[in-house]
Amino acid sequence: MTKTLFEIISRVMNIPTEKISDSSGPDSIPEWDSFNMFVLLDEIEKEFDVKFSLEETLEIKTVGDFRKKLEGKNK
Amino acid sequence: MMIMPDEEKLSSYLNKSKLISNANYEKKIRMAILGGFTLNGLEETMRVKCDEKKIQCTTYVSGYNQYNQEILDEKSQLYKFSPDIAFLIIDSRNIFGELLLNPYSLSVEERKQFVQNKSDEIINLVKTLVKKSNSKLILSNFSIPSYSPIGINETKEEFGLHDMVRNLNQNIKIGLRSEPEIFIYDLNSFVSKFGENNVFNYKQFFYGDIRISLDYIPYLAEELMGYVTAVLGLIKKCIVLDLDNTLWGGIVGEDGFEGIKLGNDPIGRAYAEFQYNLLALNQRGILLAINSKNNFDDAIQIIKEHPNMILKEDNFACVRINWNDKVGNMKEISDELNIGLDSMVFVDDDPVNIEYVRSNIPEVVSIQMPADNCHNNSSHLKSIASLFHVLKITDEDKARNKMYLEQKKRTEFKTQVGNLEDFLKQLNISVSIKIADDFTIPRISQLTLKTNQFNLTTRRYQEADIRKFSQDSKKIVGCAQIIDKFGDNGITGAYIVNKDNEQQWTIDTFLLSCRVIGRGVEYGILSHIIEKARRDGISQVRGEYIKTEKNQPAENFFVDFGFKKEGGFWIFNTKDQFKKPEHLVIS
Repeated sequence: MTKTLFEIISRVMNIPTEKISDSSGPDSIPEWDSFNMFVLLDEIEKEFDVKFSLEETLEIKTVGDFRKKLEGKNK
Repeated sequence: MMIMPDEEKLSSYLNKSKLISNANYEKKIRMAILGGFTLNGLEETMRVKCDEKKIQCTTYVSGYNQYNQEILDEKSQLYKFSPDIAFLIIDSRNIFGELLLNPYSLSVEERKQFVQNKSDEIINLVKTLVKKSNSKLILSNFSIPSYSPIGINETKEEFGLHDMVRNLNQNIKIGLRSEPEIFIYDLNSFVSKFGENNVFNYKQFFYGDIRISLDYIPYLAEELMGYVTAVLGLIKKCIVLDLDNTLWGGIVGEDGFEGIKLGNDPIGRAYAEFQYNLLALNQRGILLAINSKNNFDDAIQIIKEHPNMILKEDNFACVRINWNDKVGNMKEISDELNIGLDSMVFVDDDPVNIEYVRSNIPEVVSIQMPADNCHNNSSHLKSIASLFHVLKITDEDKARNKMYLEQKKRTEFKTQVGNLEDFLKQLNISVSIKIADDFTIPRISQLTLKTNQFNLTTRRYQEADIRKFSQDSKKIVGCAQIIDKFGDNGITGAYIVNKDNEQQWTIDTFLLSCRVIGRGVEYGILSHIIEKARRDGISQVRGEYIKTEKNQPAENFFVDFGFKKEGGFWIFNTKDQFKKPEHLVIS
């Protein structure tokens, strides 16, 4: 799952997967603005066939947050 | 399932937009996007789509919900950018605000007054933009909501919520329809095509004021591209069709006249409907042609005699039913109709034929309509409608099919007569030269946008340009209507002359529609210009030939007439004699 997640982030945020870690977020990824964050969310929802509520969306600040939320949903 | 060529994801367009090289394409456009809500991604997608069509696109995106101020302020970035085309995409929330959620807080009279005021505001706003710029403006209309707080009573209510939006749409349509630079994009139809529940997504709306959800931005961009290609004159003019399993079900060579499916059963109804849609396109000016591997006699018998054929022989401007190579046939059709391969769309059920044409003539748009999915043919055809968009459908468009049939008769007559000189004499050609007026200005602009072959300078002019030139005492804008024994070719020639000074005129534009090339009428029109210059005491007329990939037919025009090359210009001394074509009557 992590691999696919990183690939999507890499594609949407236009950075190599090696540069992505759990702590990556708007501070370390220049393209991570609120719009791209939403594009990312949209693609992740489709890829993993999950839905995030608006509240959950607002809680996501980093790649790690995404991973944790996804793990929670895939249980 | 929505039958559309599937769009790529928005993120894919976002990535591609970063890779666009600064290619120097011949076609260029400056595009402004003004939005009443978040339209992120639209600009990137439009740039990618332009690049795919070899259009160099420079964009300007207005600040978030700043469209009003930007349009009203003459010093705004919008006017500094100076767009050729501006898209103003706003929605009912921008106009109605909270009233959209609670419309019945107002009385009927108040609701009517509200819509009237808003209609006037919008109409004035967009008129301001075109007045202050040289841009075309595309304004989106408003999506009629499906919900009403009064439920099933909505359709009983006098001037209810739905009527308010409907009325607003109608008012802006009527208020703006005679504005040549303003067009209304039917966003309401876009939303009904894809469904309100898909296009509008509450989460995206609350998160970032996104009112057209991310999945649908590429589809919206595709529809808006229809305006870009229309402004640039990149228009498809002809649909070339296969026959077996494309215009009817089955194979005439195997199933026979009675065995093919057309009209009477479910499969046959799909093909009949497809033919009806083609017929309607043909009647608005899109040419149809046939490119089919078949025995000519078998196939033509169906076209002529099958009781359920919707398209008749006369709907096809050019027919190639033979066992020859389909690529060769495409080229012959292009030659016979005198239209470029890049103006043609090819439709066939066979993937091999499609791939073969696509790889050999990539400029033809080749579309496969597989026989086992023939029920989708009509929706497929509708989904490519933007290829045929023109900003204005002229009388010439509507009469085009008739003109091409007359052209067919001319070609037959030419073969009968044999000798070119006798043929031209017997055609009884008359050239009627007219100065641009309200009736001819749209057509003259259209000719400058569309004519590629016999066009000396290939300068493209919008309707507003031509209108401005026609009012300029330092310019002559003229056109020529060409009639012969087989019919009226309509306005098929145009020219613009600049009166430089007391001694000299310069031909800015001189063109002839491909329909009338090869009949000597260009010499007739030019001799008319020279004679007029002579009468006005002008000593020399000069012109340019600006070479393009396509205007080779006009290359020797000036030298053949007797012009002499001096520097970059061709010069004609009006005292010199020239041979006026004798086979024409010029009036």
